[in-house]
Amino acid sequence: MWFAVTLFCVVTISFFMMRSVRGGPFDGERALDPAIERNIKARYHLDWPLTKQYFQYIGPLNLDEHRAEIFGGDGKSPFGGVLTLDFGPSFKYKDFTVDQIISQSLPISALLGMVAMMWALALGVSAGIASALKRGSKLDLAMRLAATGGIALPNFVIAGFLIIIFVFMIPLLPVAGWGSVRHMLLPGFALGAPYAAYIARLTRTGMLEVLSQDHIRTAHAKGLAPKTVIMRHALKGGLLPVVSYLGPAIAGVLTGSLVIEKIFKIPGLGTHFINSALNRDYTLAMGVTILFTILIYSMNTIVDLAYTMLDPRIDLEEM
Amino acid sequence: MALPQKSRWQFGAGDMNKILSEVAKHKGESLWEDAWRRLRRNRSAFYSLVFLVLFGVTSFLAPILPIASPMALTLQEEPQPPSWPWDSTQLETSPGAQATGTFGAMFNNGWRHRSVLTFTFEGGTLDSVSSELSAMVEEVTGRTTAINRIAAAGNKPAQLFFAVPNEFDDTPRTNWVDTGTTGEVIFLRADNKAWLILNLPVDETLYRSWSTVVSGKDGSVNLVPNEDAGAGIRYKFRLTERFAGSVVGITLNGRELAADGKIEDLAMVGPPEPVVEPLKWDDAYEDPNAPMAPLQLASLSDAPITSPIANLFAKFGEEEIELLQGASLEEDTRVVVESNGSDRILFVRKSLTAAEQQGTFHIDLERKVNAGLEALALTGGATATLVEVESESGYWELNGIDGFMLIARSKMFGLWQTGNWMGTDSKGRDIFARIVWGSRTSLLVALIATLCSLVIGVTYGAFSGYMGGRIDNAMMRFVDILYSLPFIFVVIFLITIMNEYKVELQDNFGVDRETVFYLVIGAIYWLTMARVVRGQVLSLKNSEFIEAAKVLGASTQRILFVHLVPNVLSIVIVYLTLTIPAVMLFEAFLSFLGLGIEPPKVSWGTLAVDGTEAINPLKIFWWLVFYPAIAMGSTLLALNILGDGLRDALDPKLRGKD
Repeated sequence: MWFAVTLFCVVTISFFMMRSVRGGPFDGERALDPAIERNIKARYHLDWPLTKQYFQYIGPLNLDEHRAEIFGGDGKSPFGGVLTLDFGPSFKYKDFTVDQIISQSLPISALLGMVAMMWALALGVSAGIASALKRGSKLDLAMRLAATGGIALPNFVIAGFLIIIFVFMIPLLPVAGWGSVRHMLLPGFALGAPYAAYIARLTRTGMLEVLSQDHIRTAHAKGLAPKTVIMRHALKGGLLPVVSYLGPAIAGVLTGSLVIEKIFKIPGLGTHFINSALNRDYTLAMGVTILFTILIYSMNTIVDLAYTMLDPRIDLEEM
Repeated sequence: MALPQKSRWQFGAGDMNKILSEVAKHKGESLWEDAWRRLRRNRSAFYSLVFLVLFGVTSFLAPILPIASPMALTLQEEPQPPSWPWDSTQLETSPGAQATGTFGAMFNNGWRHRSVLTFTFEGGTLDSVSSELSAMVEEVTGRTTAINRIAAAGNKPAQLFFAVPNEFDDTPRTNWVDTGTTGEVIFLRADNKAWLILNLPVDETLYRSWSTVVSGKDGSVNLVPNEDAGAGIRYKFRLTERFAGSVVGITLNGRELAADGKIEDLAMVGPPEPVVEPLKWDDAYEDPNAPMAPLQLASLSDAPITSPIANLFAKFGEEEIELLQGASLEEDTRVVVESNGSDRILFVRKSLTAAEQQGTFHIDLERKVNAGLEALALTGGATATLVEVESESGYWELNGIDGFMLIARSKMFGLWQTGNWMGTDSKGRDIFARIVWGSRTSLLVALIATLCSLVIGVTYGAFSGYMGGRIDNAMMRFVDILYSLPFIFVVIFLITIMNEYKVELQDNFGVDRETVFYLVIGAIYWLTMARVVRGQVLSLKNSEFIEAAKVLGASTQRILFVHLVPNVLSIVIVYLTLTIPAVMLFEAFLSFLGLGIEPPKVSWGTLAVDGTEAINPLKIFWWLVFYPAIAMGSTLLALNILGDGLRDALDPKLRGKD
């Protein structure tokens, strides 16, 4: 419910801000011929009254009687609008619609985000468990130091170090680009590192709490192998704080990808967003903003659901 | 109603004093003293505090410290590695060294601007071509250049970069005012060169000095001063170039001008006479059939011109032909006048905004260098092409306090400054100085965000919590909605839109883009604060002392700010210390994406950009990445540790929880 309200706010505010800006995307270095300008405006409906433009942007209303002659086809398909996830044509990349650009770049960004989350979870959880089990040892201290450092350093700084070390000093991995697994390792790590650090901290605290509880003592007393105790009994409880952190972490990874994609020259959604913001390609910028809102929201919802599944004490209705 | 004769216990002044002395005797530690004691005991938090105080002082006092300049562009080939800090440098007296030093760049000095010429070439060796080109560029410009040579790699051609410092005088600090009058520009017949003599309604404020490019080859140039011009006007003519051939003599008002030098300044004091002797050019080279030159209007003013509106007319005899009206003049606008003789172009120019006045003469450089290139025969039949001429400026205006501190510094340290002990970046600016000056940006952002979050967040939260009920519900729903926006995207969107209006903001409200940027950042960091304060106020508002205040008739405002807010202050401080690193990170993030602080101004985000851009496979300039990272990491770390420490100190219940 609030999701709808938020989304409505985002769409409305950004739409009117976008349209109220003086100087459209077509104001180039040279003043356009008035006739040409009129044509372009007609094509993108910039000549309509603002409310009409707005409704057209929002909903699947067939306000566009010229659709067939402009875009070809039978012209029957109503202009999608945001409700049908049709964000209209891009202003700058004339031959593409925003949807096409998004569908090209979203998988890349999603993959990058997934790799980053995998790095974060794998490193964070294992480091957290290790330091919880060896509490007070040098390993614990080292892990905690690394975690604090990881939280403090922004991901673009980590990326710089990684490139210097793993690309130039020890030439193992390619510096930029996208395509193979080798391309994903560095950006994924750089993106995931701060979250790995935070997850390690959370895991450590959670595990320490769980390990001191009665049921763990019982499990040990039953004579279960330490591995079984940790993996089956302790981990589930110990990871609860991590699960609740996953929502913010995913949101952070999505935003962090703006920078990482720029550094590693990955043609993902973040790159397009920044470019569109700098190029005044407002439809694209809005489309990406809306998409990110939806993504972050649905990720949070999924995380909440997962949380209730892991911890039956929590009732979703109360959240 | 009968009162009891004598109450069992009557409260008098003596009793009050007794109570007060009793209270003084048993006075425990206040919350703050207690917290301070606990904080001091927490070693890491205490050291973080010390570090942060040092950091704040250093970054505030940056102009006083004898560190190198964060803006001086030095002509060098590549980033220089760190040197020992005791390799301090006494700025030499040679103009170049002085200019590139701190004072040169921070005070009026031309070396803070430069043009970078990019050449590619075919044939010949890198060494020979670069030395010959360098000689040519130096001859044409009359200035020392720095070269950066990049050998051909793969299918990338070899490139040569020349940095030519632009003298300060190249920037006519002209205050353009729209006087509504029409200036007259007389274009004369020429072969292929640009030259303009201006005849404008001159007055001291309008037009202080004019650099005109004189390279025409016509027989005479009429210079008709405005008769209305008052007395004591100082005209400054500058013949920055001679045409190929030699000018034997130029006379102006009967005074002989030296014509053999490359640059000639003429100060003409006193009211100009109405009729001036034509400048005589004795030219060895005359070709009446030479094609008419494209007129480079850019040499009228300075690049980069963003978009001054200009009206251009060509005047042939009595006939006026409109060439451009209300057109935006770009750098490369050329107007071809297909006529000869004493044709004229009238030209009106609107007042320029502050942003548009900056720039150097570097447009003319392109023409000069291209001309030089044509005349140049490279050894081994090599051919070189000028690919790009780019103007660079490292300078930004300092405010009054900083200027004062710079003067104080010059009194204390003279020209002495420390060496580049963290190395320099690709433009020769000291990394340490850039880090220190960049920290001022971070500090400012932190300060503004803190203020915003204090003023808006605390008020909003306290009010919402205190009012309770429907108002609270509505206010908190609003916060919830804002909270769930993906803020980074919205902010980027907002900043992009603000960029459209930066000129208006600057002109109408005196607000520059950066202030807007700071405010936008500040405006989004009050949400958490509002929530936290509201929660605290909710738990406090039913306590006895609030009841007492209400009974005593205190106003809502008084209860809020005198009774409630001081009681939530501890948690406010904790959240502030945790907000600050987030804000700094956010600023760096936006600047990194090119949406925050714009070069040449420095922030930690732009430093990180420089670092990542300098990464290349041939040579690792590790200091460009390492030192800014250390600075950023240690500051953020210290802030985080201090925040945790403060939380433990102020609220011992929370200790050890994440």
